[in-house]
Amino acid sequence: MTGAEEPAPDVRAELRRAVTALASPGASGHGVTSDLSIDEALLLHSIGWEPVDLVCGVSVASVPAGVWSWGMGEIAVASDAQGLAFTGAVQRISEECRRVRGHGVVGVHVEVTVDRHHIDVELVGTAVRPVQGAEGGEVFVSDLSGRDFTLLHQAGWGPVGLAHGASFVYAPRRSAATSIRQTGANVELTNYTEAMYSARELAMERMQQTAITMRGTGIVEVKVTEGPMPFAGHAIGFSAWGTTVRLVADGHRYLQPRMVVPLDDAVVSFEAESLRG
Amino acid sequence: MTQPEDLPKDAERRLEQLEHGLFTSDLSVNEFLLIKEVGFHPLGFVMGSSIYHTGIQMRKWGQSQELTKLTEAMYNARELAMTRMEEEATELGADGVVGVRLDVNYYEWGNDAAEFIAMGTAVKAENGASYRNKAGKPFTSDLSGQDFWTIMQTGHVPQGLVMGTCVYHIAHRGLIQAIGSTGQNVELPNFTQALYEARELAMTRMQDEATELGATGIVGVRLEEKSHQWGSHTIEFLALGTAVVKTQDGVALPRPTTIISLDN
Amino acid sequence: MAEDALPEAAERRLRSGAWSSGLSSADFAACLAMGLEPVGLVQGFCVMRWGWYGTGNPYMSPWSPYASSGGRGYSEVFRCPHYGYVMSGEHRTWGQNYEQTWVEDAWHQGFGSAYARLVQEAAQAGAHGVIGVVDSVRHLSDMSVTEFHMLGTAVVVGGATHPSGAPPWTTYLAGQRLAKLIEAGFMPVSLAVAMSSVRVWAYCMTDYLMEGRNFSWGGYGAQEVDQVVRARMAVRQIARKHVRDQLGGDSLHGARMQTSGWSLAEGDEVVECTLRGTRVRRYKDFGPVVPPVPTVRLT
Repeated sequence: MTGAEEPAPDVRAELRRAVTALASPGASGHGVTSDLSIDEALLLHSIGWEPVDLVCGVSVASVPAGVWSWGMGEIAVASDAQGLAFTGAVQRISEECRRVRGHGVVGVHVEVTVDRHHIDVELVGTAVRPVQGAEGGEVFVSDLSGRDFTLLHQAGWGPVGLAHGASFVYAPRRSAATSIRQTGANVELTNYTEAMYSARELAMERMQQTAITMRGTGIVEVKVTEGPMPFAGHAIGFSAWGTTVRLVADGHRYLQPRMVVPLDDAVVSFEAESLRG
Repeated sequence: MTQPEDLPKDAERRLEQLEHGLFTSDLSVNEFLLIKEVGFHPLGFVMGSSIYHTGIQMRKWGQSQELTKLTEAMYNARELAMTRMEEEATELGADGVVGVRLDVNYYEWGNDAAEFIAMGTAVKAENGASYRNKAGKPFTSDLSGQDFWTIMQTGHVPQGLVMGTCVYHIAHRGLIQAIGSTGQNVELPNFTQALYEARELAMTRMQDEATELGATGIVGVRLEEKSHQWGSHTIEFLALGTAVVKTQDGVALPRPTTIISLDN
Repeated sequence: MAEDALPEAAERRLRSGAWSSGLSSADFAACLAMGLEPVGLVQGFCVMRWGWYGTGNPYMSPWSPYASSGGRGYSEVFRCPHYGYVMSGEHRTWGQNYEQTWVEDAWHQGFGSAYARLVQEAAQAGAHGVIGVVDSVRHLSDMSVTEFHMLGTAVVVGGATHPSGAPPWTTYLAGQRLAKLIEAGFMPVSLAVAMSSVRVWAYCMTDYLMEGRNFSWGGYGAQEVDQVVRARMAVRQIARKHVRDQLGGDSLHGARMQTSGWSLAEGDEVVECTLRGTRVRRYKDFGPVVPPVPTVRLT
């Protein structure tokens, strides 16, 4: 409605009608707390679901102090801590969802904070359920937005839970860099490759294992993060998480999207732009 | 050129899990659904990495020139990472890899080495037809799910991610001399020549790769410039694109619906 | 400042003919299209002092975990499990989580006062509602002072009369999002905002685990820090409960939850949570919603 067109007169009438509702207090009785946008709430309704309540789960797991160095392989206690924290947070958000009689949680915002001696995980999302729903079985937790949840549902898929895996490895110190300099150029450093590659794969494998345990068929929107960690001078941590999904309909339902060409772009961008990367 | 190396044990274990039916993908839900629409199914997230020595002896060369050893290093490093990613895809029985991303990481090992990572999602055609490329390997492409769908609609099939690289050093003296002698607006011909040539080299090499794959054309070409950690006088030019081949003639594209969206 | 007297400058500004509004051009156009006419920019402000609640007050001294919630609010005690060991005087044999209700009361008083002044300015300008509210809470910690400030655009619903004596309705939304909310069958009633604060007095297990000293008394390997987890869960639950108490059967739309915390020495910490949103009331049921058609754009 940013154009200069006259809007449908309906909206003005709707507003006047809406204002009269303020005169009579709290008719419906069942209050919903949701952080979904109105678009997402409408999308949910289009498949017969509704938001129920805002739910959270948090956990803090300690990382025992220790001394690590390159070549010692994985920093297992840190990986364990993150795994524990994630599982704990998921359990608690699931409990809250069950308590408000939701079937699952969507739009979960996942925040993992690695501190010097502990790893914290915080999950916040909105519990949802089918409008005419019987009591659900297992509660699902997913970081899919309300919109993506609806799309997948239309295609016959449903979320099962959050899959997660992490691994931490110690990176070589500057003294190792000197040995690097001594080898000639144009050479692969196989020891280091092996260690970093392994650490990444391990994080992914653990994530996959959690999905298998949940009896999911696949994981979508996997996010892989990596970076230096504060709890040990040169530790690098890898995390991978995503939403586990499963076919709930008999088969995949093809959506057959329409190709559209919007005509309101004022400027056609030169292809040269794309050459610049 | 590069020898395929063994994948680490952890990779083999992870891929085994995927072979038992679980799929993973970093595709968005939109991309996942569009891939299904063209008859492909995601198999798994695949990746490859290599840590390569990239240091150079800093010298003030008299003239601008390509640093061929470094060019080779940058190319080999990425090739190795891509090859390992392809191996993971082959292990899964994939027809191709979509959404490939090439990243470079610098860690504690300072200016002399960098980690090159290639990652993407391996996919397979559901009707059992083989879409492997001329070399019998799964195709790689940096096309997003949406671009993959669009390309397939036009009757083209991706063959491989093609790249060409050139590491060029710009002479110190030449530059200062050129600037010192001008007070007016003037082109710096030597400078122009050098950087022009570097970009051309990168793009030519990329095209050669495409020709080798028997491709009809390259889509989504990107030309990137990086200095990595060498300072501003040494630049790597990297040309990347996806080589495609036309498989069907006279494909009737459905007429696109024209819409006028009133909200941005 | 007297309860119902606004600053003189505010009275002057609201009486003058021309109005200003905090809406962007797009939001402004969308509001006019809905039939909302801006009548002026309104604001509310309040400064609260934390003197009583800072350090120096004997109840807040680090030696006394007896500063409890006085019977109200969340409180939990944790006891040391290390029976039969010889322990140093530093081994903290018990600890407590408790809700700092006095902090919450002060915060709500400050926010409430700022909000009441905003609403009063709007009422004085003859407005029916206030849209596009922006609120900020700033701590000036070295002066133990907290500022509550909010700004909004007062509007009148064209062609309608506001029931006399009823306060203007308020909402964080404006423009397109407000229009969609109304079309979907919801009417904004007011802002709903609450804050919760929980203090953790660590006991031995928490102290050691948060310092990574598992191997001494905490047992081996990674473990969840039970006391801290319970405090952080509680603070979020309390904020939601406070907001729900304000809703009176209506719903909360566009909820925004923000948590912050800071650690004090040796595993002690304070966690605070604020929850904001617009309280909305249904005025019509959802019509049947047609599933949208998926499209792929070719640009």
